[in-house]
Amino acid sequence: MRLNPLTVRKLRRFREIRRGYYSFIILVVLLAISAVSELIINDRALAVRYQGEWSFPTYGPVELGSVYGLEGSAGRTPVDYRELQAHFEAQGGDDRVIMPLIPWGPYYNDAIGGILRAEPPDFQRGHYLGTDTTGRDILARLVYGFRTAMLFALAFTALTYLIGVAIGCAMGYFGGLFDLLFQRIIEIWSNVPFLYMVIIIFSVIPATFSVGARVTILLLIMVLFSWTGLTYYMRTATYKEKARDYAAAAQVLGASTPRIIFRHILPNTVATMVTFVPFTVVGAITAITALDFLGFGLPPPTPSIGEMLKQGTANLTTAPWIVSSAFAALVIILLLVTFIGEAVREAFDPRQFTLYK
Amino acid sequence: MPRPSIATALPALLALLLLSTGCGGDRDAMDSGALEERRAMARAAMEEHFANQPSMTPSLREAFERGEITQEEIDAMAAAGELEPFFVFATPDDIPDGLDWQDGSDLPEFASPDAQKGGTWYTAIQDFPRTLRRVGPDANSAFRPFILDDVVMSFGNRHPEDISIVDGNFRYYPGIAESWAEDRANRTVYVRINPAARWSDGERITADDLLFMFYFFQSPWINDPWYNNFYSRNYVRVVRYDDLTFSVTLPEAKPDMLGRVLNLEPLPAHFFDEFGPDFVDRYQWRFVPTSGAYVVRDQDVRRGRSIALTRNEDWWAKDLPFWRNRFNYDRVHFSVIRDTAKRFESFRAGEIDAFGLNLPDYFYDRLPDDDPLVANGLVAKYTFYNERPRPTYGFWINSSRPLLDNRDIREGLHYASNWERVLREYFRGDYTRMHTTADGYGEFTHPDIRAREFDVDKALEAFARAGFTERDNDGVLVNERGQRLAFTLTTGYENLQDILTIMQREALRAGVNFRIEVLDGTAAWKKVQEKQHDIQFVAFNVSPEMYPRYWETYHSVNAYDRAFLPDGSPNPDRRPKAQTNNLQVIANRELDDLIERYRASERADEMRELAFRMEEILYEDASFIPGFVMPFYRVAAWRWARWPEHFDVRISRDPLQYWLGWIEPGKREQVLAARRSGESFDPIIEVHDRYRPD
Repeated sequence: MRLNPLTVRKLRRFREIRRGYYSFIILVVLLAISAVSELIINDRALAVRYQGEWSFPTYGPVELGSVYGLEGSAGRTPVDYRELQAHFEAQGGDDRVIMPLIPWGPYYNDAIGGILRAEPPDFQRGHYLGTDTTGRDILARLVYGFRTAMLFALAFTALTYLIGVAIGCAMGYFGGLFDLLFQRIIEIWSNVPFLYMVIIIFSVIPATFSVGARVTILLLIMVLFSWTGLTYYMRTATYKEKARDYAAAAQVLGASTPRIIFRHILPNTVATMVTFVPFTVVGAITAITALDFLGFGLPPPTPSIGEMLKQGTANLTTAPWIVSSAFAALVIILLLVTFIGEAVREAFDPRQFTLYK
Repeated sequence: MPRPSIATALPALLALLLLSTGCGGDRDAMDSGALEERRAMARAAMEEHFANQPSMTPSLREAFERGEITQEEIDAMAAAGELEPFFVFATPDDIPDGLDWQDGSDLPEFASPDAQKGGTWYTAIQDFPRTLRRVGPDANSAFRPFILDDVVMSFGNRHPEDISIVDGNFRYYPGIAESWAEDRANRTVYVRINPAARWSDGERITADDLLFMFYFFQSPWINDPWYNNFYSRNYVRVVRYDDLTFSVTLPEAKPDMLGRVLNLEPLPAHFFDEFGPDFVDRYQWRFVPTSGAYVVRDQDVRRGRSIALTRNEDWWAKDLPFWRNRFNYDRVHFSVIRDTAKRFESFRAGEIDAFGLNLPDYFYDRLPDDDPLVANGLVAKYTFYNERPRPTYGFWINSSRPLLDNRDIREGLHYASNWERVLREYFRGDYTRMHTTADGYGEFTHPDIRAREFDVDKALEAFARAGFTERDNDGVLVNERGQRLAFTLTTGYENLQDILTIMQREALRAGVNFRIEVLDGTAAWKKVQEKQHDIQFVAFNVSPEMYPRYWETYHSVNAYDRAFLPDGSPNPDRRPKAQTNNLQVIANRELDDLIERYRASERADEMRELAFRMEEILYEDASFIPGFVMPFYRVAAWRWARWPEHFDVRISRDPLQYWLGWIEPGKREQVLAARRSGESFDPIIEVHDRYRPD
């Protein structure tokens, strides 16, 4: 793919802004890790060697104990791989279980000392950030919660941009009645209180919906009420570009409307729009965290940073490690994204490339 | 007798969004002429009701409930004079001779003679009450005990320490009544009102107030069907003999018939002289004059922020035996603090005087015995074992739902619910398992039924009987038609949701997927009242009655509109009936029959036998998974709070129920000064286990 020399310059400029560039790399690495977090933080084994055969249960269906020769009720229930590991070790044969680096899942209730309660970080047991009030590993919940939040934020950003850019561009390009109509619609629409709408709509969604479906619905509701913000920027940018000579020239040469929009106007407005992306991502992460904190987000026991913040504030004095972990995680993510945003804004700042000095 | 409330989540109540409720007082706007007219109208309506209200026999009422007879037909019968009148005006000469008048004076008093009056008790509520009415919409709130249940006097009260049953009755000590007599043969209780009894506004309490109470609770204007039903169904006649003497006749001479009359609470007729169709708005923020020790003054109602009770210095019963040495605080101040964690911090700061420690993490982790406040003796920790009917915490399965209508699946769900783990690891062994639907009723509780314990094998066996043998990729059982064993588990108890997440993981071992749904309290209650739930984690608060109620929760008239066709077979078009307490949607002819016999029975031993048989049927039906029982209550209180030697009475549920505590004068300042200077006292950590079960 041949990049526009201007874009290449912008990218080079972005790379030169160290803070933003490294933040970007860190975030990408974190995302990459979280994409395969099942292999790193999980209570399902990476690999099991049983009777000379290796199996890799991480992404497969739930296995019952009978698969590994367990008898009685252990054979009829899903395998607890840590117990299986202990069982194989006790037998002393060739059979073995390889657990992930951190052998805790986000849902596993670990009753240390026979009691389910928040326990401080315990390196020996592998709870590096401690456990929450029902003995679940905080690191595991953070990682899985981070993944959900990031996926959510990226999907949210993509969708709001799709709608916002399309409508904004159409408003700017066609102008006239269409513009007028949509301006009024947007004015009305953006006055609907978004949080109340989420609460109201969520309260009527039947609980029979799966977690995935609920997340999707939440996403769609949020997109529905968030695309309006972008249209005005896009509309202005389009107006501006459309009035430029090159657009008129293209028109005179007989270019079709789609060609003018997609080949000439859109690429020239991208610079403006790109600078908003990281801040949209920040907004989405904050929104889903806030909704979870208020109890209107993902249903329990889905891991989420907001839910952890809520738990942490309720146990501020007795289990400070919950809130500090969640808070630190949230601050780091938001900082990284904000740094990226700053760098993008600077790198894409048109004043750097303008001929008018 | 107030309507039973939904049990609130353990240490405190549920957070509800507080909506400001409009004030309905257009009273000032009314000129005095209009007001006079209004009063005349209210009086006329009452007199008409007194003249015309018919008394329905139990069989007639049951036929009406089943839809076999219409309201029009009943009205026609009443007009034709076929029904007895409900209200009767007689003369003192009509009181039969030879009645055995009693006054409970042989019972011991239970308040501490050391108690001292004075001081302010600071406490917190989660929500500001939405009304000062005691009935009607929004009245059944967490504040109601303080303006009704725990403060207002009834004619007589059950003795809270002596729980023996003598001649088929609990022991009663006098309240507004001076004496009473029971005529079992005629199912009637005669009551003489104490001539000294006064409302808090100084008016006398008379038999007219009792008659008014029946009129009021039977009236549709209060907008509260529970009262309408209760006060027409459970009483058949009221006779006024003179200002201070009346009798009440019951449809059946139940073993506790004395209590059913003595527990009545008269209402001040003179205060409700504007009673009419707009009652709900008109009386929204008017404090009802009370027979009890505490009043709410207008200036203490600070909407959304705080409310206070003030002790009535001229309370008529302040030196009355059984009532003296109680209600000792001069003022009780309630601040609104929504968040439990914040309420706890407020308590630690000394801004509120006591805090419930029922949840283990508060008792063991947040206020451990070695916490400086406790170790230095500034704050005392009390555990009090009580003996009373237990709130029914458990899983209520809606047996009208697909899959859940299969008994094998319900039984499997019992075995898949790991309450044992929750009790052991989450409640740390402090709570015990509930076994029947009615634990804590003494000899009326089935002695042998044991709740099914968690057992994966038995669960899988039961599910296999229902055709669920294969597991899908998530480990959830599926049947041949591809249906998954997945159910929504709803609760309104936000601070108990951890229990559900633990249960969810455990149930997955047995191949069941619980989808957890945590709603706010009101929404959860609405859902279950509309029978929209699969499985609900909820509890009914039960009052210390002699025997459990079965009709409300298990009779088929409360399950479906028309549960059965005339030939006795299930009605194929039946729909679950909303707004009833039959949360399991049970419709069982045999059970109906037993409930009706239980309702009509007048002998304790027969009722007990019937209750046991009903419990056995319910155990077989397996649509209620009994949860846990808390055999005590725990509370932390600042050192200035003083309590009787044994802390509280046997059937109490919290320290402000019987109002036995007091504040040691001058101690508050001393304790707070000691806290600043780092001085310490002997720690107080007390366990009162006189009533601990073995």
